Amino acid sequence: MSMRVAQAIVAKDLRMEVRSRSAVSTVLPFAATMLLAFGFALGPDRLLLAETAPALLWLAALFASVELCHRSYQHEAANDALEGLLLSPADKGAVYLGKAAAAFVQLIVLLVVTTGIVIVLFGLPAGRAPVLLLLTAVLGIAGLSTVGSLLGLLAVRSRTRQAALPVLVLPLVSPVIIAATKATADLTQGSTSGISGWLGLLVAFDAAYLAVGYIVFGHLLED
Amino acid sequence: MFDGLAAISAVNLEVAEGETVWLRGWNGSGKTTLLRLIATAISPTFGDGSVLGFDLRTERSAIRARTDLLSHETRLYGDLTAVENLRFACSLYDCDPRLAGPALGLVGLEEVAAVRVARFSQGMRQRLALARCLMRRPALILLDEPYAALDVEARVVVDGLLTAAQAGGQTVVVASHEAPPAQLIDREVTMDGGRVITPAGVVPS
Repeated sequence: MSMRVAQAIVAKDLRMEVRSRSAVSTVLPFAATMLLAFGFALGPDRLLLAETAPALLWLAALFASVELCHRSYQHEAANDALEGLLLSPADKGAVYLGKAAAAFVQLIVLLVVTTGIVIVLFGLPAGRAPVLLLLTAVLGIAGLSTVGSLLGLLAVRSRTRQAALPVLVLPLVSPVIIAATKATADLTQGSTSGISGWLGLLVAFDAAYLAVGYIVFGHLLED
Repeated sequence: MFDGLAAISAVNLEVAEGETVWLRGWNGSGKTTLLRLIATAISPTFGDGSVLGFDLRTERSAIRARTDLLSHETRLYGDLTAVENLRFACSLYDCDPRLAGPALGLVGLEEVAAVRVARFSQGMRQRLALARCLMRRPALILLDEPYAALDVEARVVVDGLLTAAQAGGQTVVVASHEAPPAQLIDREVTMDGGRVITPAGVVPS
């Protein structure tokens, strides 16, 4: 039944996103504007633009994840649907996995679009190891999704609401952002030495966040 | 206890299997809190209890699988259609999603099955929540002010739910400030000041 619950949550969240287009209408313009502003601020130096592009790409992904997870739980809070999840006998860990998987899919789509913007504006090279670059993207987004989907619940139940989410998320995802940025920077510059260390760090953090989220989510929902 | 204030205290209430009990009282008398305690939406600060033979503190999942709490908060998703909301509930409660269509028919919403709930009136949402309950057929139904915001047609649906529950041996506890429809209930219990008062106005020991 747990897999069925997780699949139902993923389908619901994605269907609602397709219909409400909240990510497209708010998160994407925000990320695009941020990248555009940095592009103009850094000037026409192509080398500088290419060097800063990985960090800006992951910053855009980070802010997008905060906003996306906040909106996801706003949908749950409306009409008290969140209590519906609580009062169901469904495995709460499976609910968490579903929320995290739905956020992952949406963030991957957003990352693809923002990467396109970064390639055009900043001249980010693809490097010589596209598979490793893809792996970095998947692991980095997995880290943002797992943390955001856990702390989004905390934020929606907090009195300070949206203000609480960045405060909670930013310190926790710092290792993910650093590792993803460094791996992206190395790979786009054509270097693969030391890349396994950064990818290993991403795997370790993703696994830890996923395990903690699976265990803790139900307790947070009960509080 | 909420911020040091006892919402209900010294409550001693037994409901027999298959019984329909009408919990009556003014606003703030503790009716909703009591229903939410039974539904395991909140935990008791003191005391204990059992629901359908399961411990209120330690067997919450078993209680939740057999209970439905209906209140003015319908717990529906506005961006999903009526039938999608019911199918989603089936995923959470492990029931057959093919029951969604017939359940919509029982509350008169079959023609708007493919319409997003965001376009529904409050009354239609309440009917959809009733359809979810009818579809699941829980052993215990908790209704919090079930007639509030409902038109005459929808009130008939609630009456139909109560009749069907009695016929099907389901246990029902209704919280309302209104007078009960005598033919649909087995017993009336009055609450005041967070306590259960007998019909004679005596606080049970």
